[in-house]
Amino acid sequence: MSQSHKDILKLEGVSKFYRTRGNRYRRGGGTVVALSRVNLSLRPGEIFGLVGESGSGKTTAGRLVVRLEEPDEGRITLDGVDITHLKGGGLRDYRRKVQMVFQDPYQSLNPQMTIADAVAEPLITNKVGDPADRLERVLGVLDTAGLSPAEDFIYRFPHQLSGGQRQRVAIARAIVLEPSLLVADEPTSMLDASYSAQIFEILQGVRDQMGATIIFITHSMAAARYLCDRIAVIYHGHLVEQGPAEAVINSPSHPYTKALIDATPKFGRCEGVPTYGTYLPAPRPAGEQAGCPFFQRCALAERLLCSATYPEWRQVAGEQVCLCHFAAEGGQSPPPPEECRLGG
Amino acid sequence: MSVQQATLQSLKAGRRALWRQRLAENWRVFRGNLLGKIGLSLLVMFGLMAGLSYIPPLIDPMYHPMTGVDPLVVKSTGPSLTHWLGTDFMGRDILSQLLAGARVAFMVGVSAAFMSVVLGTAVGMTAGYLGKTTDTLLMRLADMIMVLPTLLVVLMLAALFGQLSIWMIVLMIALFRWPGVSRVIRAQTLSLKQRPFIDAARVAGASHTRIIFRHIMPNVLPLAFLYMTFRVTSAIVIEAGLAFLGFGDPGTVSWGMMLQWVWKTGHMFTAPYWLLPPGICISLITLSFYMLGRAMDEVLDPRLRDETQAG
Amino acid sequence: MALLKVENLSIGYRTAGGMLKAVDGVNLSLEEGRSLGLVGESGCGKTTIGMALMGLLPPNGSITGGRIVLDGVEISALDEEELRKVRWSQVAMIFQAAMNALNPVIRVSAQMTEAIRTHRPDMDEQAIMQRVEGLFNLVGLPLERLHDFPHQYSGGMKQRAIIAMALALNPKLIIADEPTTALDVIVQDQILKETKVLQEQFDIGIIFISHDISIVAEVCHDIGVMYAGQLVEAGPAQEVFFNSKHPYTRALVGSFPTLAGPKSKLTPIPGEPPNLIGAIPGCRFCDRCPKDTASCKLEPPKWQEINERHWVLCDHC
Ligand SMILES: Nc1ncnc2c1ncn2[C@@H]1O[C@H](COP(=O)(O)OP(=O)(O)O)[C@@H](O)[C@H]1O
Ligand SMILES: Nc1ncnc2c1ncn2[C@@H]1O[C@H](COP(=O)(O)OP(=O)(O)O)[C@@H](O)[C@H]1O
Ligand SMILES: [Mg+2]
Ligand SMILES: [Mg+2]
Repeated sequence: MSQSHKDILKLEGVSKFYRTRGNRYRRGGGTVVALSRVNLSLRPGEIFGLVGESGSGKTTAGRLVVRLEEPDEGRITLDGVDITHLKGGGLRDYRRKVQMVFQDPYQSLNPQMTIADAVAEPLITNKVGDPADRLERVLGVLDTAGLSPAEDFIYRFPHQLSGGQRQRVAIARAIVLEPSLLVADEPTSMLDASYSAQIFEILQGVRDQMGATIIFITHSMAAARYLCDRIAVIYHGHLVEQGPAEAVINSPSHPYTKALIDATPKFGRCEGVPTYGTYLPAPRPAGEQAGCPFFQRCALAERLLCSATYPEWRQVAGEQVCLCHFAAEGGQSPPPPEECRLGG
Repeated sequence: MSVQQATLQSLKAGRRALWRQRLAENWRVFRGNLLGKIGLSLLVMFGLMAGLSYIPPLIDPMYHPMTGVDPLVVKSTGPSLTHWLGTDFMGRDILSQLLAGARVAFMVGVSAAFMSVVLGTAVGMTAGYLGKTTDTLLMRLADMIMVLPTLLVVLMLAALFGQLSIWMIVLMIALFRWPGVSRVIRAQTLSLKQRPFIDAARVAGASHTRIIFRHIMPNVLPLAFLYMTFRVTSAIVIEAGLAFLGFGDPGTVSWGMMLQWVWKTGHMFTAPYWLLPPGICISLITLSFYMLGRAMDEVLDPRLRDETQAG
Repeated sequence: MALLKVENLSIGYRTAGGMLKAVDGVNLSLEEGRSLGLVGESGCGKTTIGMALMGLLPPNGSITGGRIVLDGVEISALDEEELRKVRWSQVAMIFQAAMNALNPVIRVSAQMTEAIRTHRPDMDEQAIMQRVEGLFNLVGLPLERLHDFPHQYSGGMKQRAIIAMALALNPKLIIADEPTTALDVIVQDQILKETKVLQEQFDIGIIFISHDISIVAEVCHDIGVMYAGQLVEAGPAQEVFFNSKHPYTRALVGSFPTLAGPKSKLTPIPGEPPNLIGAIPGCRFCDRCPKDTASCKLEPPKWQEINERHWVLCDHC
């Protein structure tokens, strides 16, 4: 996490809390910690993976980056400029550079707006070009997003497209301003498995041809491995492990990372493949508040230490760091045999 | 450049074709709905009546619904060759009055409904989108107006200010009937505001004005339109009630007015040819707008046109 | 004798645009205690087959050809009254998005006892309660949560409760339609493993429907790949997966990333599946197929035997 001079985006100690109101079933209100003191820095042109289960705060992180949400603590900078509390015109200028693809393509397009209007919207709001220029750019960007011939799509409404096509429209709209940073929030999780390869290819194209930096949010370790240069694993709003994608996946260090790898579908002749077994099937009683965020589910936790002391970041190898008291003990697992496939 | 212009042209043409296709699709769903077909046929009939209402006075001034008196008739008479539905107590032609009444019903119904729906939609969208204090204030106001019994209040106003003109009545109905619409539109706006496509628009740089007019409004308009058909019904009924109770515009011939004349001149039980036509017309026109509304409900039902999820 | 035989099954939906042939000439067979995975893109007719097996097609859908035989009884010929007896006691279904099928205002325990009571009027209350508790243990739900309301459960717990309900009457066949699509990776993994254990323990036949071939391959003995209403490849999971013949199956297998081994390039499937309203003369996949030849568009493909249990519907494989 050094080399601040070439980082494009930096999150420093960013936290986000949601206040929930009590209702008929849940008495009183409470505070949900969606993100807790998150530090991240992105390098220009990389695809950075944010991996975790649902509810772990991935979407919140993405929404903070595009400033749909304001952090409660900490600072976000883009190219060294503080954007934590931007408003008005400044925010609009910022969003020319930072765009987002949302998780659910069935929900993220206005049902009453044609594809042409939807994709042209960022151009219109930012007063780019005249109608003819805009149309040309819309056609070009639809083509980039794999919707060709683009002329066939611009006259349609979202409900006339399949989920995969809709998501590609959403990507087209996010890249029409050629942003330098793109947040892709689980862009394939609502789609058929067979569409993901297309979406991955388009995202790679966006990085390679436009030089955009991409935050790729996913719950799939395999997808993160395929697409990302570096990844961060997030659990209940806390980052727990971070490093180059290959390193984190081949020799995971945090017990939660290991659990995610264990949970990846396996098939073929996988009888001998070892599992890490770091995830408790039933949670143990909570420890003190200050303890390790993974304590309740961690099979390796030591009662006294882990329930009471928040771990420190430890360097595991090279750039791989891990938030665990026992980080150094993380080891490489032998590669599975040929006939066994892990993925999905 | 000309290539670009050509593409732009074709974009416009494509967009027109798209809307045509959409209309055709809606029409197809509508046609499949029996209630809708009945309602629409009835409305076409009333529309024809309203259109035809201009003809009798042209044939002979004695067919003027308000001022035309048949000099040969001195009391209410039943149907005859010169007066197909008979005449009223002073010799005016009932059929001409009935036709003129259709015109007034449409005018009152549609304009009052239009105004109340425009007002209700504007208030509902503002309250829903801005939220907080604005929302609270507007909705409290709506509640206050909603609990007022419209007919009674308009009656009191009429008693206070003397006879009201038909446009005043339309305005009153509009002013008293928007809260229901605004509640529905507000609820819809609230739920739309939470939808991810609004977030997507914000990320695309859309201003609040753009979000309201380009994203929220097109999604509430179908609902507003639906409410309009129901509001027409209530406006017609209120006007008829007012007129029947003697607080209508004395310068217009509405069906309610006709009923009032029947009543006031004591022909309630003696002249069915005079009593029944306006009574039946009021019931039928309200019924037909209601049926139209129900059919629209189906046409606009998102479940029938919208997406299914992956998987 | 096979537990389930589906012969030449065709199902159509009446729609405004005409007859939609959602399922077209599908043959399946399932032995007792084995599991069959049905995979394919959404819209290819998987749910429709599941619903037909339960006799629960929507009003505008009907079986237009072929038959379904479960345990010697022809399901497709039963009337509603007879179907009701078969349903749940012989075949149970875990519906797509079933977690939302639990009634939010009724306690889970009450929903489960109710389900048993309607089908087994002979059982007394105590026996039913015991059965419910047994089921809870079976699917790994803590007994102290028995009387909770569904919203107090996590997604994974709801799915377990649904599985317990499906097991309640000891059915011979369970149809699981995308049972884990809405779940988290870790929970999904737990549920899949548990399903497998339960299936082996009770010798239940399972038809497992999913759009994700990696999940199906993990759980099932056999795989049937569906495309646009037809079965296009069928065989033992290992065979279909590692020795895929049909270009569509190959594309499916090649379209998801893996955790280990070389990072090979994924193979996206271009285009979209065909419209199922109206006749399709040739192979349904030919528009998206790398092997497309002139004859593919004209002639319907024929079944080719790869080996005794592995079949493919393609003339060029
Ligand atoms: N608007 C909100 N109000 C209250 N709680 C929220 C809101 N958005 C997210 N949360 C909570 O914050 C946590 C993180 O959510 P999210 O970022 O959506 O996770 P993910 O994208 O990883 O699934 C969850 O516990 C969620 O319930
Ligand atoms: N009730 C219905 N009426 C008309 N068409 C339907 C109905 N249900 C499903 N279909 C159509 O039948 C086809 C198969 O659907 P389905 O069985 O749900 O596929 P899958 O489960 O594989 O996604 C799709 O083209 C779908 O649009
Ligand atoms: Mg999310
Ligand atoms: Mg389905």
